[in-house]
Amino acid sequence: MNNRLETFVKDNRKAFDIMEPSAGLWAKIEQKLDTKKKKKPIKLYLWMSAAAAIVVVFGLVWLYAGRLQNKDLEIADVSASYAKKEVHFAGLITEKRDSLAIFASANPELYKKFTADLKKLDENYERLKAELPTSPNQTFVVKAMVKNREIQLQLLKQQLLIINQVDDYKRVNQI
Amino acid sequence: MEAVYIDKNLELVKKCMQGSRAAQFELYKLYAKAMYNVALRILNYEEEAEDVLQEAFLDAFTRIVDFRQETTFGLWLKQIVINKSINYLRKRKMEFVGTEEISEVPDEDSFDDSDVQLQAEEIRQAITQLPDGYRVVLSLYLLEGYDHEEIAHILKISENTSRTQYMRAKKKLKSILEQKGMRDE
Repeated sequence: MNNRLETFVKDNRKAFDIMEPSAGLWAKIEQKLDTKKKKKPIKLYLWMSAAAAIVVVFGLVWLYAGRLQNKDLEIADVSASYAKKEVHFAGLITEKRDSLAIFASANPELYKKFTADLKKLDENYERLKAELPTSPNQTFVVKAMVKNREIQLQLLKQQLLIINQVDDYKRVNQI
Repeated sequence: MEAVYIDKNLELVKKCMQGSRAAQFELYKLYAKAMYNVALRILNYEEEAEDVLQEAFLDAFTRIVDFRQETTFGLWLKQIVINKSINYLRKRKMEFVGTEEISEVPDEDSFDDSDVQLQAEEIRQAITQLPDGYRVVLSLYLLEGYDHEEIAHILKISENTSRTQYMRAKKKLKSILEQKGMRDE
Protein backbone atom coordinates (compact mmCIF):
# COMPACT_ATOMS: atom_id res chain seq x y z
CA MET A 1 0.00 0.00 0.00
CA ASN A 2 2.23 2.72 -1.29
CA ASN A 3 -0.37 5.49 -1.34
CA ARG A 4 -1.57 4.96 2.19
CA LEU A 5 0.44 7.87 3.54
CA GLU A 6 -0.70 10.27 0.81
CA THR A 7 -4.35 9.37 1.31
CA PHE A 8 -4.09 9.67 5.06
CA VAL A 9 -2.47 13.11 4.86
CA LYS A 10 -5.00 14.29 2.30
CA ASP A 11 -7.90 13.15 4.46
CA ASN A 12 -6.50 14.64 7.62
CA ARG A 13 -4.70 17.68 6.27
CA LYS A 14 -5.90 19.96 9.06
CA ALA A 15 -4.42 17.74 11.74
CA PHE A 16 -0.96 18.69 10.49
CA ASP A 17 -1.34 22.43 11.00
CA ILE A 18 -1.43 22.37 14.76
CA MET A 19 1.48 24.55 15.76
CA GLU A 20 0.73 28.14 16.69
CA PRO A 21 2.96 31.20 16.25
CA SER A 22 3.52 33.21 19.40
CA ALA A 23 0.78 35.64 20.35
CA GLY A 24 3.00 38.69 20.22
CA LEU A 25 3.95 38.26 16.59
CA TRP A 26 1.23 40.50 15.19
CA ALA A 27 2.34 43.33 17.45
CA LYS A 28 5.85 43.02 16.00
CA ILE A 29 4.51 43.06 12.44
CA GLU A 30 2.27 46.02 13.21
CA GLN A 31 5.20 47.94 14.66
CA LYS A 32 7.30 47.29 11.56
CA LEU A 33 4.39 48.30 9.34
CA ASP A 34 4.14 51.58 11.25
CA THR A 35 7.81 52.43 10.77
CA LYS A 36 7.53 51.60 7.08
CA LYS A 37 4.47 53.81 6.76
CA LYS A 38 6.24 56.72 8.38
CA LYS A 39 9.03 56.47 5.83
CA LYS A 40 6.68 56.59 2.88
CA PRO A 41 5.18 60.09 3.26
CA ILE A 42 8.67 61.56 3.63
CA LYS A 43 9.68 59.89 0.39
CA LEU A 44 6.53 61.09 -1.34
CA TYR A 45 7.11 64.59 0.00
CA LEU A 46 10.66 64.56 -1.36
CA TRP A 47 9.52 63.40 -4.76
CA MET A 48 6.80 66.01 -4.88
CA SER A 49 9.16 68.84 -3.95
CA ALA A 50 11.64 67.64 -6.55
CA ALA A 51 8.88 67.62 -9.16
CA ALA A 52 7.79 71.11 -8.09
CA ALA A 53 11.37 72.38 -8.36
CA ILE A 54 11.66 71.01 -11.87
CA VAL A 55 8.40 72.67 -12.86
CA VAL A 56 9.57 75.99 -11.45
CA VAL A 57 12.93 75.78 -13.25
CA PHE A 58 11.26 74.94 -16.54
CA GLY A 59 8.80 77.77 -16.06
CA LEU A 60 11.58 80.28 -15.45
CA VAL A 61 13.59 79.06 -18.45
CA TRP A 62 10.48 79.28 -20.62
CA LEU A 63 9.70 82.79 -19.43
CA TYR A 64 13.29 83.95 -19.93
CA ALA A 65 13.51 82.40 -23.40
CA GLY A 66 10.14 83.90 -24.28
CA ARG A 67 11.30 87.34 -23.24
CA LEU A 68 14.52 86.96 -25.18
CA GLN A 69 12.57 86.03 -28.28
CA ASN A 70 10.18 88.94 -27.92
CA LYS A 71 13.07 91.36 -27.53
CA ASP A 72 14.74 90.28 -30.73
CA LEU A 73 11.56 90.04 -32.69
CA GLU A 74 11.32 93.63 -33.87
CA ILE A 75 13.08 94.96 -36.93
CA ALA A 76 13.70 98.21 -35.07
CA ASP A 77 16.13 96.43 -32.75
CA VAL A 78 18.31 95.48 -35.69
CA SER A 79 18.10 98.58 -37.83
CA ALA A 80 16.13 101.81 -37.26
CA SER A 81 16.19 102.87 -40.91
CA TYR A 82 14.83 99.54 -42.10
CA ALA A 83 12.16 99.71 -39.46
CA LYS A 84 11.03 103.08 -40.79
CA LYS A 85 10.85 101.68 -44.31
CA GLU A 86 8.95 98.65 -43.09
CA VAL A 87 6.37 100.76 -41.27
CA HIS A 88 5.99 102.93 -44.36
CA PHE A 89 5.42 99.93 -46.60
CA ALA A 90 3.07 98.26 -44.16
CA GLY A 91 0.90 101.38 -44.08
CA LEU A 92 0.71 101.55 -47.86
CA ILE A 93 -0.02 97.81 -48.08
CA THR A 94 -3.02 98.13 -45.79
CA GLU A 95 -4.25 101.05 -47.82
CA LYS A 96 -3.96 99.20 -51.15
CA ARG A 97 -5.52 96.09 -49.68
CA ASP A 98 -8.53 98.10 -48.61
CA SER A 99 -8.83 99.55 -52.12
CA LEU A 100 -8.59 96.09 -53.60
CA ALA A 101 -11.31 94.83 -51.27
CA ILE A 102 -13.75 97.34 -52.78
CA PHE A 103 -13.57 95.46 -56.10
CA ALA A 104 -13.96 92.11 -54.40
CA SER A 105 -17.72 91.78 -54.71
CA ALA A 106 -17.67 92.71 -58.42
CA ASN A 107 -14.81 90.36 -59.32
CA PRO A 108 -14.81 87.56 -56.78
CA GLU A 109 -12.66 85.12 -58.77
CA LEU A 110 -9.97 87.61 -59.59
CA TYR A 111 -9.92 88.81 -55.98
CA LYS A 112 -9.50 85.27 -54.78
CA LYS A 113 -6.46 84.77 -57.01
CA PHE A 114 -4.93 88.06 -55.94
CA THR A 115 -5.31 87.35 -52.25
CA ALA A 116 -3.79 83.90 -52.75
CA ASP A 117 -0.68 85.50 -54.26
CA LEU A 118 -0.49 87.96 -51.41
CA LYS A 119 -0.94 85.19 -48.90
CA LYS A 120 2.14 83.42 -50.22
CA LEU A 121 4.23 86.55 -49.76
CA ASP A 122 2.77 87.07 -46.32
CA GLU A 123 3.69 83.54 -45.30
CA ASN A 124 7.19 84.17 -46.50
CA TYR A 125 7.34 87.28 -44.38
CA GLU A 126 6.16 85.42 -41.28
CA ARG A 127 8.84 82.79 -41.84
CA LEU A 128 11.52 85.45 -41.99
CA LYS A 129 10.13 87.05 -38.86
CA ALA A 130 10.34 83.72 -37.01
CA GLU A 131 13.92 83.22 -38.18
CA LEU A 132 15.03 86.66 -37.10
CA PRO A 133 15.75 86.02 -33.38
CA THR A 134 18.03 83.05 -34.09
CA SER A 135 19.59 84.17 -37.33
CA PRO A 136 23.37 84.74 -37.29
CA ASN A 137 23.00 87.58 -39.83
CA GLN A 138 20.03 89.61 -38.63
CA THR A 139 20.57 92.56 -40.97
CA PHE A 140 20.29 90.19 -43.90
CA VAL A 141 16.97 88.84 -42.65
CA VAL A 142 15.65 92.34 -41.98
CA LYS A 143 16.62 93.36 -45.51
CA ALA A 144 14.73 90.36 -46.87
CA MET A 145 11.70 91.28 -44.75
CA VAL A 146 11.62 94.85 -46.05
CA LYS A 147 12.15 93.59 -49.58
CA ASN A 148 9.20 91.27 -49.08
CA ARG A 149 7.03 94.19 -48.04
CA GLU A 150 8.18 96.15 -51.08
CA ILE A 151 7.26 93.30 -53.41
CA GLN A 152 3.88 93.00 -51.72
CA LEU A 153 3.28 96.67 -52.34
CA GLN A 154 4.29 96.45 -56.01
CA LEU A 155 2.13 93.40 -56.50
CA LEU A 156 -0.83 95.18 -54.94
CA LYS A 157 -0.29 98.18 -57.22
CA GLN A 158 -0.33 95.93 -60.30
CA GLN A 159 -3.33 94.02 -59.03
CA LEU A 160 -5.22 97.26 -58.50
CA LEU A 161 -4.33 98.36 -62.01
CA ILE A 162 -5.60 95.10 -63.52
CA ILE A 163 -8.75 94.99 -61.45
CA ASN A 164 -9.48 98.63 -62.38
CA GLN A 165 -9.11 97.82 -66.08
CA VAL A 166 -11.32 94.73 -65.79
CA ASP A 167 -13.91 96.73 -63.93
CA ASP A 168 -13.89 99.49 -66.53
CA TYR A 169 -14.21 96.95 -69.33
CA LYS A 170 -17.18 95.33 -67.61
CA ARG A 171 -18.92 98.63 -67.11
CA VAL A 172 -18.42 99.66 -70.74
CA ASN A 173 -19.85 96.34 -71.89
CA GLN A 174 -22.84 96.77 -69.61
CA ILE A 175 -23.75 100.03 -71.24
CA MET B 1 -18.34 27.53 -0.95
CA GLU B 2 -14.95 28.01 -2.54
CA ALA B 3 -16.17 31.05 -4.46
CA VAL B 4 -17.52 32.69 -1.32
CA TYR B 5 -14.18 32.09 0.38
CA ILE B 6 -12.27 33.77 -2.43
CA ASP B 7 -14.68 36.72 -2.57
CA LYS B 8 -14.32 37.31 1.12
CA ASN B 9 -10.54 37.51 0.77
CA LEU B 10 -10.79 39.75 -2.24
CA GLU B 11 -12.62 42.36 -0.18
CA LEU B 12 -9.93 42.17 2.48
CA VAL B 13 -7.17 42.36 -0.10
CA LYS B 14 -8.72 45.47 -1.62
CA LYS B 15 -8.95 47.11 1.79
CA CYS B 16 -5.31 46.17 2.42
CA MET B 17 -4.35 47.91 -0.81
CA GLN B 18 -5.90 51.05 0.65
CA GLY B 19 -3.79 50.50 3.74
CA SER B 20 -6.45 49.33 6.17
CA ARG B 21 -4.81 48.01 9.33
CA ALA B 22 -7.96 46.16 10.32
CA ALA B 23 -8.00 44.28 7.02
CA GLN B 24 -4.32 43.43 7.42
CA PHE B 25 -5.05 41.99 10.85
CA GLU B 26 -7.97 39.99 9.42
CA LEU B 27 -5.71 38.45 6.78
CA TYR B 28 -3.09 37.76 9.42
CA LYS B 29 -5.62 35.95 11.59
CA LEU B 30 -6.81 33.93 8.60
CA TYR B 31 -3.39 32.80 7.43
CA ALA B 32 -0.85 33.12 10.26
CA LYS B 33 -1.34 29.65 11.64
CA ALA B 34 -1.29 27.80 8.33
CA MET B 35 1.71 29.76 7.10
CA TYR B 36 3.54 29.26 10.37
CA ASN B 37 3.17 25.52 9.95
CA VAL B 38 4.39 25.70 6.36
CA ALA B 39 7.51 27.54 7.46
CA LEU B 40 8.03 25.30 10.48
CA ARG B 41 7.88 22.14 8.39
CA ILE B 42 10.62 23.44 6.14
CA LEU B 43 12.81 24.99 8.81
CA ASN B 44 12.18 22.76 11.83
CA TYR B 45 12.99 25.67 14.15
CA GLU B 46 10.24 27.68 15.76
CA GLU B 47 12.26 30.86 16.04
CA GLU B 48 13.23 30.86 12.41
CA ALA B 49 9.70 30.03 11.37
CA GLU B 50 8.44 33.06 13.26
CA ASP B 51 11.03 35.28 11.63
CA VAL B 52 9.97 34.01 8.23
CA LEU B 53 6.31 34.55 9.08
CA GLN B 54 6.94 38.12 10.15
CA GLU B 55 9.00 38.92 7.07
CA ALA B 56 6.50 37.25 4.77
CA PHE B 57 3.54 39.23 6.12
CA LEU B 58 5.50 42.49 5.98
CA ASP B 59 6.48 41.71 2.42
CA ALA B 60 2.97 40.77 1.43
CA PHE B 61 1.43 43.92 2.92
CA THR B 62 3.97 46.28 1.40
CA ARG B 63 3.86 44.55 -1.97
CA ILE B 64 0.12 43.99 -2.03
CA VAL B 65 -0.31 46.61 -4.76
CA ASP B 66 1.63 44.26 -7.04
CA PHE B 67 -0.72 41.39 -6.26
CA ARG B 68 -2.87 40.69 -9.29
CA GLN B 69 -5.73 38.32 -8.82
CA GLU B 70 -4.15 35.56 -10.88
CA THR B 71 -4.01 33.37 -7.79
CA THR B 72 -5.63 33.63 -4.40
CA PHE B 73 -4.02 35.71 -1.70
CA GLY B 74 -3.36 32.52 0.26
CA LEU B 75 -1.38 30.88 -2.53
CA TRP B 76 0.54 34.08 -3.14
CA LEU B 77 1.42 34.40 0.54
CA LYS B 78 2.38 30.73 0.68
CA GLN B 79 4.83 31.25 -2.16
CA ILE B 80 6.45 34.10 -0.26
CA VAL B 81 6.63 32.01 2.92
CA ILE B 82 8.15 29.02 1.13
CA ASN B 83 10.71 31.10 -0.75
CA LYS B 84 11.79 32.83 2.43
CA SER B 85 11.98 29.55 4.33
CA ILE B 86 14.10 27.97 1.61
CA ASN B 87 16.43 30.96 1.71
CA TYR B 88 16.81 30.60 5.47
CA LEU B 89 17.53 26.94 5.03
CA ARG B 90 20.10 27.61 2.32
CA LYS B 91 21.91 29.88 4.72
CA ARG B 92 22.31 26.80 6.85
CA LYS B 93 23.90 25.17 3.81
CA MET B 94 21.35 22.50 3.23
CA GLU B 95 22.17 19.87 0.65
CA PHE B 96 19.42 18.20 -1.29
CA VAL B 97 21.29 14.94 -1.25
CA GLY B 98 19.96 13.00 1.67
CA THR B 99 22.10 11.85 4.51
CA GLU B 100 21.48 8.35 5.77
CA GLU B 101 21.64 8.90 9.47
CA ILE B 102 18.50 9.32 11.47
CA SER B 103 18.38 10.16 15.10
CA GLU B 104 16.91 7.63 17.50
CA VAL B 105 13.29 8.14 18.34
CA PRO B 106 11.95 7.22 21.76
CA ASP B 107 9.16 4.66 21.76
CA GLU B 108 5.63 5.89 22.15
CA ASP B 109 3.64 3.55 24.40
CA SER B 110 0.30 5.38 24.35
CA PHE B 111 -0.08 4.78 20.63
CA ASP B 112 -3.58 4.03 19.35
CA ASP B 113 -4.08 3.10 15.70
CA SER B 114 -7.71 4.23 15.56
CA ASP B 115 -7.00 7.71 16.88
CA VAL B 116 -6.56 9.81 13.75
CA GLN B 117 -5.41 12.85 15.67
CA LEU B 118 -2.69 10.84 17.30
CA GLN B 119 -1.68 9.21 14.02
CA ALA B 120 -1.33 12.59 12.37
CA GLU B 121 0.74 13.76 15.31
CA GLU B 122 2.99 10.68 14.92
CA ILE B 123 3.55 11.46 11.26
CA ARG B 124 4.11 15.12 11.97
CA GLN B 125 6.68 14.26 14.61
CA ALA B 126 8.34 11.75 12.32
CA ILE B 127 8.65 14.36 9.56
CA THR B 128 10.61 16.59 11.91
CA GLN B 129 13.08 13.73 12.33
CA LEU B 130 13.89 13.70 8.62
CA PRO B 131 17.08 15.31 7.31
CA ASP B 132 16.57 18.78 5.80
CA GLY B 133 16.61 17.74 2.13
CA TYR B 134 14.12 14.93 2.64
CA ARG B 135 11.88 16.94 4.92
CA VAL B 136 11.55 19.87 2.51
CA VAL B 137 10.69 17.80 -0.54
CA LEU B 138 8.30 15.60 1.40
CA SER B 139 6.57 18.58 3.02
CA LEU B 140 6.16 20.43 -0.26
CA TYR B 141 4.77 17.37 -2.02
CA LEU B 142 2.75 15.70 0.68
CA LEU B 143 1.46 18.63 2.69
CA GLU B 144 1.68 21.79 0.59
CA GLY B 145 0.34 20.01 -2.48
CA TYR B 146 2.99 21.00 -5.03
CA ASP B 147 3.86 18.59 -7.84
CA HIS B 148 7.41 17.60 -8.70
CA GLU B 149 7.62 20.12 -11.52
CA GLU B 150 6.77 22.94 -9.11
CA ILE B 151 9.12 21.62 -6.42
CA ALA B 152 11.93 21.43 -8.98
CA HIS B 153 11.26 25.09 -9.79
CA ILE B 154 11.11 26.18 -6.14
CA LEU B 155 14.26 24.34 -5.05
CA LYS B 156 16.12 24.78 -8.36
CA ILE B 157 16.73 21.06 -8.69
CA SER B 158 15.73 18.66 -11.46
CA GLU B 159 12.30 17.08 -11.50
CA ASN B 160 13.94 13.68 -11.27
CA THR B 161 15.86 14.64 -8.16
CA SER B 162 12.63 15.82 -6.61
CA ARG B 163 11.00 12.48 -7.39
CA THR B 164 13.79 10.32 -6.02
CA GLN B 165 14.17 12.57 -2.98
CA TYR B 166 10.50 12.15 -2.27
CA MET B 167 10.63 8.35 -2.62
CA ARG B 168 13.61 8.14 -0.29
CA ALA B 169 12.04 10.55 2.16
CA LYS B 170 8.89 8.50 2.30
CA LYS B 171 10.86 5.32 2.88
CA LYS B 172 12.73 6.95 5.70
CA LEU B 173 9.55 8.32 7.18
CA LYS B 174 8.05 4.87 7.22
CA SER B 175 11.05 3.39 8.93
CA ILE B 176 10.84 6.09 11.59
CA LEU B 177 7.17 5.34 12.09
CA GLU B 178 7.86 1.62 12.30
CA GLN B 179 10.47 2.25 14.91
CA LYS B 180 7.83 4.12 16.79
CA GLY B 181 5.50 1.18 16.46
CA MET B 182 3.04 2.24 13.81
CA ARG B 183 1.93 -0.74 11.74
CA ASP B 184 2.22 -0.10 8.07
CA GLU B 185 0.08 -2.55 6.13
